[in-house]
Amino acid sequence: MLRIWFLSLAQSTLGQYMQTSKWGFAVVEAIHLLALAILGGAVLIQDLRLMGLVFKEEPMRRINRDMGRTLLGSLVIMVLSGIALVSEEALKCYYNPAFRWKMVLLVAVIVFYFTLHRSAINRSTEESRAGDRIIGAISIFLWLGVGVAGRAIGLI
Amino acid sequence: MKLRFLLVVVAAFAISTEAYAHHSFSAEFDGTKPVRLVGKLTRVEWTNPHSYFYIDVVDKNGNVTNWGCEGAGPGALSRRGWKKGDLKIGDTIVVDGYRAKDGSHLADARRVTLPDGRSIYGGTPGDGGPGDDGTVQGVLPNTGTKK
Amino acid sequence: MPVLQHMCQVIYDSPIGTAIRESDYAFPVIESVHVLAITLLVGTIAVLDLRLLGLVFRGIPVTRVARTVFPLTWSGFAVMLASGLLLFWAEAAKNYSNPAFRIKLVLLVLVGLNPLIFHTTIYRRVHEWELLECSPWRARAAALASLSLWGGIIVAGRAIAYF
Repeated sequence: MLRIWFLSLAQSTLGQYMQTSKWGFAVVEAIHLLALAILGGAVLIQDLRLMGLVFKEEPMRRINRDMGRTLLGSLVIMVLSGIALVSEEALKCYYNPAFRWKMVLLVAVIVFYFTLHRSAINRSTEESRAGDRIIGAISIFLWLGVGVAGRAIGLI
Repeated sequence: MKLRFLLVVVAAFAISTEAYAHHSFSAEFDGTKPVRLVGKLTRVEWTNPHSYFYIDVVDKNGNVTNWGCEGAGPGALSRRGWKKGDLKIGDTIVVDGYRAKDGSHLADARRVTLPDGRSIYGGTPGDGGPGDDGTVQGVLPNTGTKK
Repeated sequence: MPVLQHMCQVIYDSPIGTAIRESDYAFPVIESVHVLAITLLVGTIAVLDLRLLGLVFRGIPVTRVARTVFPLTWSGFAVMLASGLLLFWAEAAKNYSNPAFRIKLVLLVLVGLNPLIFHTTIYRRVHEWELLECSPWRARAAALASLSLWGGIIVAGRAIAYF
């Protein structure tokens, strides 16, 4: 059933453009990579603070206010550019195990971000608790997984 | 001083986005120009990020043209059962793929039939080439082969 | 053959360079580390650049942001340098004639000069302006140069595969 979505994406105007354009894929991929740099930086600063390793004197909320916005902004760019990249080779992605892993991990980390991660940030105090350290570590691990799986798409 | 930095950067962007000739299938190869090449191996580059196989193709009139065929990296190929030692210079292989857009004697090695008869998907994963029904070992037009 | 090109060829032909280049796993792993460590190197320094531009952490002194970010950025630099050298070892001869690679090297030199200039000039007096929400124009210019140069380096690095 999901396969229909990928087929439609391939046949869409976006898909047709990406499949025939000489440099469309390259430009979109560069945008994906630049947004990745920003996303990674925001994730690192935010989660390292949650784990009590950086900015210890600053309240978690203050760090989260700006890093959260940066994270979500760059994530939106990554998702949009990602959709364009997939549209160039939609069915190939659909059947690619690395891509499937990437999507699973991406959904998992986004859900995690808006639930457990959010509550940890909201109730965070001066000292970081063991629970916060675990949540920060899980977050970094999941995001890293998304990145590794993404790189693996072109390798397997 | 800083302005000069920015000017250099802008120039770098301009240069780097201008000459995109490769990568992602549609930038380098033409999905409407399938080709079947049969020839003797003259050179093998078993390298990352891409492998290259050069074969001498003889046409009807006896003219020999050397074609380059671009394949996936060693890791991907060996996972499909194709090892470096499987090919020797002088072996005859069949390459099904698509021609390079710039008209040069380059094709992507979408499907390679080895001397021992095995037919291996040689393409680079995630490059977005056509002729695949999405599965790794997809169908190529005009070849009638499917695994 | 020019000396530099000859040196690149020697590096390329070396046993280690060849082993990496023809490897099943080593090259892909080294390259993946190189790409992902961009977040550690560029992602973190970008936070300082954004602070200098007054876009994030306006209430936090610039020096505190810098102190936080620098260890991370330097760690990222160490990883990028090590993985980059290994990749170069495997690809040296091809890199020599690659325009994207050459541009990347030029940009890397510039992105190294930028903080040198920054730290020996406007940053010397940082205690005068570290609390400002928006830093002096020289600091903002350095931040913009940093972001642009790193962006160019990332794009040039990706473009290496295109030549």
